[in-house]
Amino acid sequence: MAVRIGMMSFAHMHAYSYAHCVKQLEAEGRAQLVGVADDDPQRGQQVAQQYGTRFYESYEALLDAGIDAVIVCPENVKHRPLTEMAAKAGKHVLCEKPLATSKADGRAMIEVCKANGVQLMTAFPCRFSPSYIRLKQMVEAGELGEVLAIRGTNRGRNPGGWFIVPELSGGGAVIDHTVHVTDLCRDLLHSEVVEVYAEIGNGFCHSDFDDTGMLTLTFANDVFATLDSSWSRPKVFPTWGDVTLQVVGTKGLVYMDMFAQNSTLYDDRNMRITLEHWGSSIDYGLVSAFVESVASGKPVPITGEDGLAAAEVAFAAYESAKRGEPVQLPLPE
Amino acid sequence: MLRVGIVGVGTMGRTHASAYIKLPNTQLIGFYDAVTEAAQRVASQFGVQAFPTYEAMLEQVDMVDICTPTPTHLDLVLKAAGAGKHILCEKPLGRTLQQCEQMIEAASNAGVTLMPAQVLRFFPEFKQAHDLVLAGAVGKPAAIRTRRGGPYPRAANDWYADFEQSGGPILDMVIHDFDWLRWTFGEVERVFAKALTFKKLDHIDYALITLRLKSGAIAHVEANWADPSGFKVDFEIAGDAGMIAFDSRFAMPLTVAKQESGGGGGGVAVPESPLAEDPYMLEIKHFVDSVEAGQQPSITAVDGMKAVEIALAAIESARTGKVIRLGGGA
Repeated sequence: MAVRIGMMSFAHMHAYSYAHCVKQLEAEGRAQLVGVADDDPQRGQQVAQQYGTRFYESYEALLDAGIDAVIVCPENVKHRPLTEMAAKAGKHVLCEKPLATSKADGRAMIEVCKANGVQLMTAFPCRFSPSYIRLKQMVEAGELGEVLAIRGTNRGRNPGGWFIVPELSGGGAVIDHTVHVTDLCRDLLHSEVVEVYAEIGNGFCHSDFDDTGMLTLTFANDVFATLDSSWSRPKVFPTWGDVTLQVVGTKGLVYMDMFAQNSTLYDDRNMRITLEHWGSSIDYGLVSAFVESVASGKPVPITGEDGLAAAEVAFAAYESAKRGEPVQLPLPE
Repeated sequence: MLRVGIVGVGTMGRTHASAYIKLPNTQLIGFYDAVTEAAQRVASQFGVQAFPTYEAMLEQVDMVDICTPTPTHLDLVLKAAGAGKHILCEKPLGRTLQQCEQMIEAASNAGVTLMPAQVLRFFPEFKQAHDLVLAGAVGKPAAIRTRRGGPYPRAANDWYADFEQSGGPILDMVIHDFDWLRWTFGEVERVFAKALTFKKLDHIDYALITLRLKSGAIAHVEANWADPSGFKVDFEIAGDAGMIAFDSRFAMPLTVAKQESGGGGGGVAVPESPLAEDPYMLEIKHFVDSVEAGQQPSITAVDGMKAVEIALAAIESARTGKVIRLGGGA
């Protein structure tokens, strides 16, 4: 049976890629994109047309359309209300990252899904990168010996729009780009972050949101990691950014540049040089796993708890920068 | 003509010797090394004298070039200054700040030139980046990353592995980057670091260091003695109007791959980046020309001390888990 999916908001641009993946799954007979709803009706209608699906005037109408699950991609602060709405309507939820902009919101989302017997999955597509899967295999096979330290980056460009309105995004670069690599580290180490130190700045845009983040994480198993979450890619940079991970172990080191599978396009007409990615779609892996869990009733591979644990590192980073010292986790509820 | 004596016949002593024998205004007189046979072997390679004692060498030279393990620098510098000789001293200038202060005072009292060999300032990629930043090529710098390292270094008596002597990769190696960062982006406000240094692992060390600069920029420095695949350097300077990125892996104009005997299959590719002007030669030339002209070299002993101060702050942070705020500044 195809899993019937509704999409709630296209405020986050990842929604477009997820919709594309649902359509792919539709072609495989595994899912059906039943419809979309959006705060911005114009955007919603346009998207519905683009993906050949129905536009619903309200989230309530979409939730009432006989769907099994939703993909939630609004502005970060709206993750909680839309997830609550979907959970109470008995729909499974795939929620865009960061799961929430506060610990209380994240906790409430986890609770409401539990209370209503639906699954909550956090959208961490990097877990489905074949390069990451291979890296994890090497680590688990002991090829690097004992893991000692990790150097990570998730650098990008200032996406603009609501991402730079802290009331909607919960911050800036740090809330946007901390969670992916943090999640990979947690997944790789099977250990929780116990301390965060962060230097945060706004030296690129000189505005009231942060655009530079250099985090140091310490895990319960004593591994340390740094993570550069800055929006430091220039406007002419040939691609959107990166996800890199260098894992140092007692027996060796592995370096991953997750999106290195590119060819270079030199484009005279647009006077641009761009990296054209030909690697596997990690978003497909994500949406496919969600659909699989909904169809089979198996637990989702990336939970709401995973999403909250990664987001908490971003919250701690802001707290650390404010205090000028390392902050211990878990943060108070 | 400056008469030169070199202390220490390790890799750096021999590298420096090759520069002195090419310069028109220096004469390499000889070497002194605590291991007399080593001094004799290297001296004969260069066709110069091996001195039985440091004092004997000091009597016959105008300057000394100190290329010995870090903790020996203080005594060698004090003796050279006492004898009125100019001094080029390998980095890090001293093992402690107090040692650096003593050296600076001694050189100042004796009226001799003391320059720390922060050679990175003469590496064309780092010099060019410095110049571009100062010319405003990236606007105002906001985020800077450097990476340096490779396999664990091996040297006489395995002295790098003795933290009390070498200070590990933070003091011994990325002091280069600390000096370049200060030179290019200004003073450091505070330091936070994590390192494997105190885990006492077998020939593996690694550190990740975050610096907040007084300018507001944030810098991340990787010190890597845990990469068996070879020595690599990279940097990235992102500013509000652009970015400069360098990666030694991709700046190799020459790569030679030789068939292993028996042919077919094995063999490793060895990349090279040849330069007409070797950075060590440029460094030494600058020192010698400054001494001859009676001018202060562009790298002062205080610069050497300040780089040590940043490194020691990083080590202190890694040891205590605390943020270390740097004193005074100027």
